Amino acid sequence: MATPSRSLRPLGPLKQALRRCRAERQQQRRHASTEALYPSLQPRYPPPSPGFRPSQAIKQNRFEEGMRKIPVIPPPRSTIKACRDPIQAVTQSQLTVLDPNGARTRLFAPSNPDRAQPGDILHVRLRNGEPFSGVCLSIRQRHQPIDTAILLRNQLTRIGVEMWFKVYSPNVEAIEVVQRKEKRARRANLYYMRQSRHDVGSVEGVVRGWLRQKSGGNVRVKGRDANSSKKKNNKRGRN
Amino acid sequence: MVNVIDNSGAAVAECVKVLKMKRHARIGDRIIVVVQKQRNFGPESGGAVSVSAANKVRRGDIRHAVVVRTAKKYQRKDGSVVKFDDNACVLINKGGEPIGSRMGSVVGRELRDKRWSKILSLAPMHL
Repeated sequence: MATPSRSLRPLGPLKQALRRCRAERQQQRRHASTEALYPSLQPRYPPPSPGFRPSQAIKQNRFEEGMRKIPVIPPPRSTIKACRDPIQAVTQSQLTVLDPNGARTRLFAPSNPDRAQPGDILHVRLRNGEPFSGVCLSIRQRHQPIDTAILLRNQLTRIGVEMWFKVYSPNVEAIEVVQRKEKRARRANLYYMRQSRHDVGSVEGVVRGWLRQKSGGNVRVKGRDANSSKKKNNKRGRN
Repeated sequence: MVNVIDNSGAAVAECVKVLKMKRHARIGDRIIVVVQKQRNFGPESGGAVSVSAANKVRRGDIRHAVVVRTAKKYQRKDGSVVKFDDNACVLINKGGEPIGSRMGSVVGRELRDKRWSKILSLAPMHL
């Protein structure tokens, strides 16, 4: 740095050297302060190029580079083509097993004018166990036709007994109408018949008479539950 | 209060304990009862002497009994539900033999599953 030619100002080159040294240090300090002390102040991304225009950058719709790509899962294939109404299909499949000829369905179908209704005297024959008969107090269909159940009330040895039977139960062999109510019941559930003043009492006598008549009748007795609605016609034909 | 349906002499009893259970009793469960009302056999069957002779239990007696009917609905394995109009029991001794020799009315069929066949055979009807 110091040149021997300038002997007139011996300290001249030293002054110059000092100035340079100070400038360098200042430059260095500026770098150090922005980089090392405050890294958060540092720009994350390289500064835009000279010809950068923000409006165009938005149009390009660039993702941030640090972002993870979210996988897009396609929607599952619709099952509507495979089975339009699965619950209906299940019900049908159950009915074909439990009620092959549709007699039980017809006996309680709302469209059937001769259906069994609350107030009728019904006789339920069971596969294992004694038959039960009684006044139908209620016909319950909860969610599906397969859940249909009937509530029968009778008096056995002067004790009131009520029983629910599932209409489509495999244990139920047949449901037959013994006697119809003369006038249609004005309620869907005849729970008032539990009160002693409305109780019809034992229907055993009616059922016994009907059974006797049936056994004295012709051979068509077996399939009676299927066409129990034609009971009156049957009777007329027999006599 | 439960009706007593045998001819032991009690008419109405009160349940004070359900045995081997921490809940309500069902058909076929063994309970302890206190006899609350005695059965009188009517004027034609004799005087007070014959009544006391016929009655094997007295009012206030503590006896074992078996529930044979419940007014609570009970659902069976096959889906059918049975419900009686009253609660009824049959008095038994400590060994499980019924005290009465005859029974008046219908009993539940669950007695068979609980091995009370003697009561079932005495009953006029079971359901």
